[in-house]
Amino acid sequence: MGEQITFAIACIGAVGFGIGVVFFKDAFRAAVSLIGTLLSVALLFIVLLAPFVAALQVIVYAGAIVVMFLFVIAYLGDRPVSPGTDRMDAVQPFAWLALAGVAAFGAITVLASTIGPATTPENSDVGSPASIGHAFLDQHIVAFEVTSLILLIAAVGAVILAKRAVMLEGGR
Amino acid sequence: MTVPISAYLMLSVALLVLGMLGVIRRRNPLLLLLSIELMLNAGNVALIGFSRQWNDPAGQVFALVVMVVAAAEVVIGLGLTVAVFRSRMNLDVDEMSSMKG
Repeated sequence: MGEQITFAIACIGAVGFGIGVVFFKDAFRAAVSLIGTLLSVALLFIVLLAPFVAALQVIVYAGAIVVMFLFVIAYLGDRPVSPGTDRMDAVQPFAWLALAGVAAFGAITVLASTIGPATTPENSDVGSPASIGHAFLDQHIVAFEVTSLILLIAAVGAVILAKRAVMLEGGR
Repeated sequence: MTVPISAYLMLSVALLVLGMLGVIRRRNPLLLLLSIELMLNAGNVALIGFSRQWNDPAGQVFALVVMVVAAAEVVIGLGLTVAVFRSRMNLDVDEMSSMKG
């Protein structure tokens, strides 16, 4: 019963704040709304026996990524909205069609699936740091190494982008 | 599990469609990236749900990799946005129509 109540609250929170992310005019408000979605999803992770991923979700997403978004939003500031000169207007119906198609496909697939009840016992330690560490290093070592490579490439790329932007403006 | 996995998957579909809606609707590159974060989170909800369903930590490992990819993508995306839109023009991806610097 408790799980259902928590799920309902987190569900409403995730979708409600998600609607805020999509529809808020103000970029700052949209970013803060994303924090709400991320925290709701972290709550879901706790319900799903994944406390470690939930903690990382709060630290990495709500902590680091959204703060970076807020920095950039504050740095670039408010720009005037350009008039609607959308050269893609002609193909816009196809985009809406694709969106409706994905929604319908997902809903039908989920509703038609015949996955039974969960096979995980309530006291499973599947989400403990030890279990995830074993899975990472024993079975998914390639994913682990690729992860570190991706982070390195992103860091180097960010430095090069920043350096180039400064040089273009005549700085050193 | 008192809440069936299909409920989590429906939430995942809803978040993904919301993110797609944002990508279609938004023209501010920052808000495009926010919507992409929404879609990545939809994927994570499904992955953690599967991990719970079959008592397999691989789903959580996959979710952590997705998180790392999201962080890297945001770093590069925000870096590009700042580099391109810093001095000139409105925040609108439609104005970034040529590859010339």
